[in-house]
Amino acid sequence: MDFTGKTNGVTPRSGNTARLFVLKERSVKSVFFFTAAFAVIVVSFILLFLFRDASPIFADVGIANFLFGPVWAPTAAEPLYGIWPLIVGTLLVTLGAMIFSVPLSLGCAIYISELASPKVRAVLKPAVELLAGIPSVVYGFFGLIVLTNFIRVSFDIPSGETWLAASVLLGIMALPTIISVSEDAISSVPHEYKEGSLAIGATRWQTISQVLVPAALSGIAAAIILGIGRVVGETMAVLMVAGNAAIIPDPIWNLLSPLRTLTATLGIEMGEVPVGSEHYSALFGIAVVLLIITLIINLSAVAILHWLKERRTTTAGKQPFLAPETRRKVVFIAEMLALAVLLVFLTSVSWWLAPVILMACCLWLAGRPYLSEKRIQTLAFCLVGLATIIVLAILFIILSDIVVHGLPALSWDFLTQPPRDLGREGGIFPAIIGTLYLIAGAIAIALPLGVGAAVYLVEYTREGKITKVIRTGVDLLNGTPSIVFGLFGFAFIVLYLNLGVSLLAGQITLALMVLPTVIRTTEESLKNIPQSLREGSLALGATKWQTISQVVIPPAVPGIVTGAILSIGRAAGETAPIMFTAVVFSSRFLPDSVFDPVMALPYHLFILATNVPGSSMNKYGTALVLLLLVIGFYAVAILVRTHFQNKARG
Amino acid sequence: MSESAIITTNNLNLWYNGKHALESVSMKVPKNRVTALIGPSGCGKSTLLRCFNRLNDLIDHVKIAGEITLDDENIHAPSIDVVTLRKKVGMVFQKPNPFPKTIYDNIAYGPRVHGVRDTCELDRIVEQSLRHAALWDEVKDRLNDSALGLSGGQQQRLCIARTLAVEPEVILMDEPCSALDPIATAKIENLIEMLKADYTVIIVTHNMQQAARVSDYTGFMYLGKLIECGKTKQIFEHPAEELTENYITGRFG
Repeated sequence: MDFTGKTNGVTPRSGNTARLFVLKERSVKSVFFFTAAFAVIVVSFILLFLFRDASPIFADVGIANFLFGPVWAPTAAEPLYGIWPLIVGTLLVTLGAMIFSVPLSLGCAIYISELASPKVRAVLKPAVELLAGIPSVVYGFFGLIVLTNFIRVSFDIPSGETWLAASVLLGIMALPTIISVSEDAISSVPHEYKEGSLAIGATRWQTISQVLVPAALSGIAAAIILGIGRVVGETMAVLMVAGNAAIIPDPIWNLLSPLRTLTATLGIEMGEVPVGSEHYSALFGIAVVLLIITLIINLSAVAILHWLKERRTTTAGKQPFLAPETRRKVVFIAEMLALAVLLVFLTSVSWWLAPVILMACCLWLAGRPYLSEKRIQTLAFCLVGLATIIVLAILFIILSDIVVHGLPALSWDFLTQPPRDLGREGGIFPAIIGTLYLIAGAIAIALPLGVGAAVYLVEYTREGKITKVIRTGVDLLNGTPSIVFGLFGFAFIVLYLNLGVSLLAGQITLALMVLPTVIRTTEESLKNIPQSLREGSLALGATKWQTISQVVIPPAVPGIVTGAILSIGRAAGETAPIMFTAVVFSSRFLPDSVFDPVMALPYHLFILATNVPGSSMNKYGTALVLLLLVIGFYAVAILVRTHFQNKARG
Repeated sequence: MSESAIITTNNLNLWYNGKHALESVSMKVPKNRVTALIGPSGCGKSTLLRCFNRLNDLIDHVKIAGEITLDDENIHAPSIDVVTLRKKVGMVFQKPNPFPKTIYDNIAYGPRVHGVRDTCELDRIVEQSLRHAALWDEVKDRLNDSALGLSGGQQQRLCIARTLAVEPEVILMDEPCSALDPIATAKIENLIEMLKADYTVIIVTHNMQQAARVSDYTGFMYLGKLIECGKTKQIFEHPAEELTENYITGRFG
């Protein structure tokens, strides 16, 4: 405010200054509008470039042949571009991952929200978030070294790189997403429902299973769909453990067959394909298909949420979807079908699993009427507790494996020397520096754009068409698989803008990828600022921009910082977006400018793990350093958040 | 009180986070009568009410000392199952809290969790409970609609019907009318009058006229203590304690 006047410092603004103020307000607003529109621009550019590069293959092969062609053999003498096996592979891996992940996650979510004491909860929640912080290439590394070996030995098969390995690993990666979102949903069911149910004399388990979980169903559905989105878009981990044979398992329920997903195909082949060839175009075709699949997943999530909300608040005159009797029958039949499918699947793994499960089911059905509600509750709580223990055990196994094997590799030389002998000897200094450069640049680009967009969305507009378009853009960007960012970065930034494979190209690509996270978290923290603060400031005659910059943003800073740190952590661990845009494997030197390529930790680990035999020590060392770096960022973010939360509570 | 007591408390003390919320409360609640608990905000009347079905168990950092008996059994005894206790002691909350289910399923929830599976039996219970709660005629054609579509007064009667469906002995009501308009309040008050033939009702209210209208007995609480308890007529017309008289005549509150 203009405090230079005389009487009490406050004078009415003269005509000229008033005009200046209006001008300033307008220009500030348009800057914010531009940052918000940026997300939409990026989305349209991604679509534009993917379609541009994919269109030749659609024209040459035909969309139907491309989608449903049974053979993917792009490098054969007579190349065939049928991605049906890849689509099936993606679906099967996702299905398996969900079967593994959903029961564990729900059990764990119920435990955290309803059974754990406040102290235990205070430990469990960050632990689950840590699980989310582990970079996908570290998961892949763990899967490749430990999980596939375990599967190979247990089932006595030549290679453990199978559908089963991919599903279990991706299931583990989906755990934190599903757990945190559904835990939130269950915890936010109004306390009155719980009291009402308990006051009727329902047991805690009856209350949980018949009131709390149904009331939280929309949130749980959203959690599962988010988990599916995560699994479908994952590249590095699945690429490292799925075996990558472009075949449909035979028979279709053979969990021990290798298979290949859409994302893995991009990860494997994009680096070696001649630009502009038919094969190159086919890969972009795959990216388009991938994008459409994730789009469908996201849209169905929105639709399901909407439908559930509608159904819950529906007032009058609507008949239920099915009569209760028929519905019960339909549910029963569906359950039996699901069980049958599961059993068939399990026969491929081991002959005795199916009979054992079948027997357990029969025992349960027969014994159910004779069990008191108390017994059932005890049983249910045991299962829920077991699920939680399994989740914690998984976290412990992964962390301890990497720490135990990685610690001996850590030394001053390892951290400060360039690699020698293809990374078998020497250190990882250039990779550490490269990763730091990449994330610094990414956040420097994403933070202003993201915060600006969020400020525009929250402060400058009412909900309407424009915000809807922008929000949809942000959602789409958020749901885009990271490998698609990689392809876009390659096609647009590296080739079209002619930046070449360079630090800058990687920074921009990573920035685009983390932009939605920054926007979301900033939006959340701005929305948490009470409206009365804004009104109080405006009532004093402050302009909009003065109010925003001096009253609204300062208290929102912790939230924004948390979001920024989370984004940095995510950017540091990502491999797929930088694989084709910024990195080289072995470089003895640091980049001279932003136009040079760099080394990066995740990519270094990926190459060591998959292409350099005999570098065991340095692999683990690299994994540990990457893990510490990323988890360090996450831990700082969690600390910042809890610190300010506690402070706010007073 | 000469009538037979269904609930008695003996020297009941409760601390919440170290704060002494109930101090040496000793009272008898007569069977098949309506007992009102009145007193200024924060005097502990809701806390006392929630002791009777042990709903305070849900809250962390609550410590209870002293004895509460229901039908001459200590409700904190290890042999007492809290689930069985709550089946016997139903509760209606301040804000109507129907579950996000259909009207039918809201009522049937209680019988179902207590093991009634037979559809005909459930239909019968639902109809009977809704009739008993004077709601049947208003909702009989839309039993499969969401309960959240009902008006506030209807929701509260639905919650009463939901409580009746498990056939408790005692019904606790925690300011059941505070979120309702006068017409809905009158309906609930009539309902309470009818309920006392079969049930014992304990109602917490901040509305003294309501206490005078609906209750047979009244207890006046102040700062966690039960100051006075007796026949409603006597409490309102010839209170023994000066504090009670001051509150009833509106000198503080």
